[in-house]
Amino acid sequence: MGNDKDGAFQPRMVAFVCNWCTYTGADLAGTSRLTMEPNVRIVRLPCSGRIDPLFVLKAFERGVDGVIVSGCHPGDCHYTSGNLHARRRFAVFHDMLDFLGVEPDRLTFSWVSASEGLKWREIVDDAVERVRALGPFSRFDIHSARGKAEFASEPGRQA
Amino acid sequence: MKELRDLARTLLTDGSVQVVIGWEDGPAGARPAFVTKAEDADRLIFDPRCVHNLAAYLSPRRPHVGRLGKAAVVVKGCDARAVAALLRESQIQREDVVIIGVRCGGVLADPSRRVDLTAENVSERCSGCEAREPGLADHLVGEMPPPPPGERSRETRIEELEAMSAAERSAFWQAEFSRCVRCNACRQVCPLCTCDRCVADKTQPQWIEQSAHERGIFAWQLTRALHHAGRCADCGECARVCPAGIPLGLLNRQAARIVERRFGYRATDDPSIPAPIGAFRSDDGQEFIR
Amino acid sequence: MTARGLTREGLAGLAAELIGAGIRVVAPARAADGGVDYLEVTRFEECALGAEMPRRSLRSAFQPATEPLFAWNRTGGRLFLTPAEANGPQVVLGARPCDAAGAAILDKVMGWDYRDEFWFARREATTVLTVECAEPGPTCFCEAVGLAPDSDAGSDVLLRDAPGGYRAEAITPKGEAFMEAHARWFGEAPSAASEPARTRQAPLPLDAMRGWLAEHFEDDLWRDVALRCLGCGACTSICPTCHCFDIVDEPEGASAGTRRRNWDTCQAGIFTAHTSGHNPRADQTARCRQRVMHKFLVYPQRFGAVLCTGCGRCARACPAGVLLPEILETIAGRCRQAAPSGDLA
Repeated sequence: MGNDKDGAFQPRMVAFVCNWCTYTGADLAGTSRLTMEPNVRIVRLPCSGRIDPLFVLKAFERGVDGVIVSGCHPGDCHYTSGNLHARRRFAVFHDMLDFLGVEPDRLTFSWVSASEGLKWREIVDDAVERVRALGPFSRFDIHSARGKAEFASEPGRQA
Repeated sequence: MKELRDLARTLLTDGSVQVVIGWEDGPAGARPAFVTKAEDADRLIFDPRCVHNLAAYLSPRRPHVGRLGKAAVVVKGCDARAVAALLRESQIQREDVVIIGVRCGGVLADPSRRVDLTAENVSERCSGCEAREPGLADHLVGEMPPPPPGERSRETRIEELEAMSAAERSAFWQAEFSRCVRCNACRQVCPLCTCDRCVADKTQPQWIEQSAHERGIFAWQLTRALHHAGRCADCGECARVCPAGIPLGLLNRQAARIVERRFGYRATDDPSIPAPIGAFRSDDGQEFIR
Repeated sequence: MTARGLTREGLAGLAAELIGAGIRVVAPARAADGGVDYLEVTRFEECALGAEMPRRSLRSAFQPATEPLFAWNRTGGRLFLTPAEANGPQVVLGARPCDAAGAAILDKVMGWDYRDEFWFARREATTVLTVECAEPGPTCFCEAVGLAPDSDAGSDVLLRDAPGGYRAEAITPKGEAFMEAHARWFGEAPSAASEPARTRQAPLPLDAMRGWLAEHFEDDLWRDVALRCLGCGACTSICPTCHCFDIVDEPEGASAGTRRRNWDTCQAGIFTAHTSGHNPRADQTARCRQRVMHKFLVYPQRFGAVLCTGCGRCARACPAGVLLPEILETIAGRCRQAAPSGDLA
């Protein structure tokens, strides 16, 4: 979470993407000089099947306000079926997060192919806009070393 | 009861098994029993106080039980689903265990009191149970008792939660989770938590923080529910053991509802039916993916 | 020792005054699910004095399930440590005698070779008002381990049942000062409080049992006890005298993080697992034995008190019917067998 120079809330976001389709698609968006919201940092993984729900959780724990998870369209997986296995896990993860009270708009799933630079821009802009509307994700802040809620307010002593 | 005791005596006498894992009448209510001598078979009981899922003792994580030798285990319909899951996941071999099924009319939430089953004291998973006669059994004993009393209160609570806003659900779970001390009893009692090294115990890297704060508790409880989605036998032991009274049954039950709605899978005591996570269909729903 | 009277209205007024003054008041209260826990209360009406025994002991008032020790931050090439926030004053309203006694027993190990500053900071900042136990539960056995429903060990003020309220007895100078500071709520001491409750258990022959334990590290008893144990550790997380902890670092990126102290349990395999893969307590048999040995042999040898207050929670919390009172009775029986004529108690 952070604010821009005008004081407006600027979400901090992470995208976990597969190497073969979405990362290449995002690369295409870049080489095509498409402009998009700058809030998203990309983490590249071999396959959407490698994206563990714990990656997403850890991102939220470490202070992001929203996450994008993206891979190859069904049928396009470099490893044949990694994305189809992932789809089942993501479905349960998506529904359980909702049940535990995390707004579904904070987590965006998408299929973006290597040729879909334009779609990547749409996904990013739309996800950032929805998270911006939700505001900061603060459920885990209280115990953060940066948040200091549990810590003495005087400045720390240098070790 | 006589049928159960006679069967246990026979199995121990003819050497089919070295131990019968069942229930006995302890000083503070029904509790698990390990009968290794034929003359002790009369210790065995089965009544509504026998809430414990004895499949947990078959887990390879409990070598101190395994050392007794080949076991016969007494199971209710719900417990049989846990045995099936252990077989499905190759944690035990079918020929290594004798399964004694008991027909069940529901069990008490609290095994310490000998009282009649009512809608108030029945274990929350029992109402509406459709597995009162184990299909996975070498021997089936007892008459079929009347069905368990009560409404499906757990379904109602889940639907109430689903009708809430995200903020209200978040507040509900934060209040419940605030009592969690991360004792991990929910994991330890689970018959299907068979991992040698749990992801929650790993520290390098530490995916799940071990502290009992909202971050650590949320990560643990969500991960536990995810790892059990499509595997959970719905025996309710995690919720029963929780020293803080956290309604863990709601999490497992919701994961089971999701798996049924999305993949058409229900927990079963047929070990030949594969679990839904780890499999896929090309036409699985993906309305949540853009 | 000062004795005064405290009516129920007086207790309500006292609680309101403490809360109003910003003092953290911990009392038995109903949690969101209806169960009773020791919780921080914001109104006297939340207190569930006289309700059933809280599910978990008072341990968390002195050693929370997780507590920050310090945070670190690296900025501009320099490392800064920020200590955890200091504990403000705390009053426990309505501790059980067994829970208050547990804290006093733990003072011994917490101040032994190293003074645990976090433990004693909370102990010193806390005043414990204990209410004598009116109705021991079905698994209670405090008298068997040398305590009683009206024990004052670990209490600063003991509230005994009296007509219309309590007879308040100051047990420690801190309790004396507390009653002095809040004198307007205390009145004339009522005459002798009603007969205290009793569990009517015979005292266990604790000395003889210690001798038996010292000689029976290997015994079939441990195998028999451990068979049904699932290793969940619920017994340790509700115990007033279990105190084992783990220290963890929770980094937040490369430059910041928190060091925390968390409860741990000897019933988990990982508690004693070595990095080599060897585990000296390889299975539940060894872990169950450890629980009894630590409480009834090692701790009394070193500190002169058993590590148990007989609250009976472990017997209630166990999902598998492992009953500490039953185990102790078995051991006591073997001691009596070994010395049939002697007086073991």
